[in-house]
Amino acid sequence: MKDLARKEQALRDAGYKYHFDRALYLNRTAKKAFSIEFIEDKPADELEQKIAEDAPGPGWHFFFTKEPSDAVQRELSRVLG
Amino acid sequence: MPERTVEDRLREEYFDLLPDIRHVVEHMKAETRHRLLAISGRLDKHEQIKVDSRIKECESALDKLRRREQGRIFDQEKSYTLKDLKDLAGVRVLVFPRSRLEEIDIALRPIFESRTADPILGDGGETLALKYWGYCPEASSKVPGEYQIVPMLTGLFWTVEHSAIYKPSPRYKDAVRTPQMQALRQKVLEALGAFEEEFERLVRDEKS
Repeated sequence: MKDLARKEQALRDAGYKYHFDRALYLNRTAKKAFSIEFIEDKPADELEQKIAEDAPGPGWHFFFTKEPSDAVQRELSRVLG
Repeated sequence: MPERTVEDRLREEYFDLLPDIRHVVEHMKAETRHRLLAISGRLDKHEQIKVDSRIKECESALDKLRRREQGRIFDQEKSYTLKDLKDLAGVRVLVFPRSRLEEIDIALRPIFESRTADPILGDGGETLALKYWGYCPEASSKVPGEYQIVPMLTGLFWTVEHSAIYKPSPRYKDAVRTPQMQALRQKVLEALGAFEEEFERLVRDEKS
């Protein structure tokens, strides 16, 4: 739980907000989204490192425990805007 | 004509399965009440056993499958089936006090031909409630059923939580997944457990 609190703080500090419908923490400026499963699964250090990294391209970048298919990434990018 | 979506196919499957779901829930409810008769007949005044049952609604079933996907979105290229859900037909037995849990667990064992345990765990790995799923071949070979044996205050908290928050706004189901909400929810469950334990202790002391 302590680790989860640290992760949540790291996300908040970096401007991430929780999206209820998608269960994602997202930052619309950085165009990055972390699934709740990724946050629960990965160590706090790894999460903080991923938060600090620049997004590799102009579109949305998703951090899931299992790489989402292209179709899912396209649809999520569409609904997130 | 527009292509059928995963949701369209799952809704069709739901209504194909619905007669079986109804059979399973009715069968489980009757079996549960029958098997608890002997225990119910010798409860003390302060003790209670309550049997609830429900059929999972179509949109709740779809939502549950969808929530297994990260990003809560169906991959339109994948195939899904509602038969993966174990709780389309569900029975919940609320029990007070907790000391009755074990004998109820034993009494309900024959409901399924073969049951699989899937206990509901708290954040610390402690068992909050017993949960089993399996098939009742007399009712359906296609649809499994699930029953839970839950300490009463914990079960009532889940019921209130469900009807006050999730039923009107299913989108908030994932709200409790945030770390802060998980911590607060854990505190509620611990407090309810401690309350029940202390009450039981007082009753025991008074009797002795």
